[in-house]
Amino acid sequence: MAAHAHYREAHPLVFVITHWINLVCMVMLAFSGFYIHYPFFDGFMGVARGMHFVAMFVIIINLTLRIILAFTVKTATQLGSREVETDIKNWLPQKENRHQFWPTVKYYLFLKKESPISAKYGSLQKIAYLATVPLTYLMAYTGFGLYGPTADWGFFAGGVDMVGGPMNMRIIHYFGMWVFIIFTMIHAYLANIYSFAPSRIIFAWKETVESEH
Amino acid sequence: MAQEAHGALYDLLAVRGVSRRDFLKYCGSIAATLGLSEAMVPQIAAAIESGAKLKPALWLNGGACTGCTESVAQADSPDVATIVLEILSLNYFETVMAAASDAAEKVKEETIAEGGYILIYEGSVMTGFEGGTLVVAGKTGLEHLKEAAENAEAIICVGSCAVDGGWVMGRPNAAEATGVQGFLNHEGIATPVVNLPTCPVNPEWVVAMVVQYLLVAGDDAAKFLEMTPMVTRRITDAVYGTDVDLLFPKSLFGQTIHDNCPRRGHFENGEFVTEFGSEEEALGYCLYKVGCKGPQTFTQCPVTRWNRRASWCVESGSPCIGCGGLNWVDNNTPFLMRLSDMWLGDGLTYVQPGSIAAVAGGVVAAGLVVHGLGMKAAGRVPGGAPTEEMKEYDRKRMAKKGGDK
Repeated sequence: MAAHAHYREAHPLVFVITHWINLVCMVMLAFSGFYIHYPFFDGFMGVARGMHFVAMFVIIINLTLRIILAFTVKTATQLGSREVETDIKNWLPQKENRHQFWPTVKYYLFLKKESPISAKYGSLQKIAYLATVPLTYLMAYTGFGLYGPTADWGFFAGGVDMVGGPMNMRIIHYFGMWVFIIFTMIHAYLANIYSFAPSRIIFAWKETVESEH
Repeated sequence: MAQEAHGALYDLLAVRGVSRRDFLKYCGSIAATLGLSEAMVPQIAAAIESGAKLKPALWLNGGACTGCTESVAQADSPDVATIVLEILSLNYFETVMAAASDAAEKVKEETIAEGGYILIYEGSVMTGFEGGTLVVAGKTGLEHLKEAAENAEAIICVGSCAVDGGWVMGRPNAAEATGVQGFLNHEGIATPVVNLPTCPVNPEWVVAMVVQYLLVAGDDAAKFLEMTPMVTRRITDAVYGTDVDLLFPKSLFGQTIHDNCPRRGHFENGEFVTEFGSEEEALGYCLYKVGCKGPQTFTQCPVTRWNRRASWCVESGSPCIGCGGLNWVDNNTPFLMRLSDMWLGDGLTYVQPGSIAAVAGGVVAAGLVVHGLGMKAAGRVPGGAPTEEMKEYDRKRMAKKGGDK
């Protein structure tokens, strides 16, 4: 399965850019977030907070833009294909994903020898990529609940009350970051397990042709 | 009559060695506490003077440590605040009143029967053991509170215990303690309740609320609520499980300690105390890393300060323990850690969120390494396993169809 080609149609330039923005913002958010959680060296708190807030606004705008673009930009329907379709159709589960959740789990647990038939992304991948959307917004929501200028807005204060106060909100926000860290670990691992061709296309926009593995 | 009260008040103040000038200065500080302009000082003075002997009040003690009484009594030397509270005509104040036994109870009953008083309630409402954990004059604390609350014009809850149960309702809450508002909602008593958390309560805030009441409302609690900006926080009652809306005066509980902290500059500079007894501590650096709960505690402590405005926790070198928060003990322990411990359930233990996260991250990282080795061993990398010809689901369905035929 890994031997297929990686064409630019899979990730048009605009999505290469949004992916870069996501990556940079995520790294900045996680780093500054860790620092705000527990300042592990001196002299950086003001910068860390500024970085956190800027990256937060950028990633939220970027994500919202990415969702809007999913309805206007066309991407490849299949791995190694130049055939394109509106992106949202390839982002949401495709017909090839039906009934493939358990076979995919079994494949990765070495309980199934053959690689399961997959759409542009496998069933697990689609779930993960779709879950990052509400998770990012949830991080923004919990963050705004802790952020001085917005914490007393009814929309956020209601959520803070619901979870039992700002300390609990802080812990949820903290665990949310770990969900993203774990997501990123698995994402980077699975994307590159067969070859680094996926990284070449998503970061450098360089195509890789089909190989004879 | 105002003149009489005026004279009476200044006599009282003079006896305590407080000059008229001190009194007016104090009125100015109340104006600041309430967020009013200095132009209001004469009205505040007038409200205190005329309100003096006119407003009866009861101070009831629930399940608590009497620390709020101690805080308000400030026993070492009386100041203006204690005198203002004295002239409230506190008809019943268990710990400090001179009257005892039947005589005291009789005064209390008469006050309740007459109505038109302010109820100041200290301590949690302990509903466990049918209220048997607190019995005064043959009646449970629950009955006392119900009787006094029904006829009161307004209730001022002093200290975190009265607000939501405070430390008494901390896990495992054996006394089944809760706050006054939650209990009154359950009993269907609609008397307005104003909450003044922290452990113990700051006497300045009690004075501020009494003055605000006399100043803007006179005898009308509804007007008092309307004229006093409030913050509403919704909690789930510790005992009844119902949603309870708590009212806090916005001027006192609208901003965090962090917002007004004198050490805030060091926070922004990234200058922290990591260890007590260190050079950083001597330099007065920020206490964030040693567990200060200032960023999530909404009280006016840095502005009002404590012990006759001498100092307060953070200024005197202790990280805020968040005593003005809700469910504050469970939410803020351990006091010297950044995040609170998570409680894993009966018979289990407490654990830091960071430990859970590190274990989860470590397990996933190790799992991926093992998985990668497995992929290699299974010969799946770099070529990948051959793709199935047909989905398992379709194959099974076809097999079934074939069987049917």
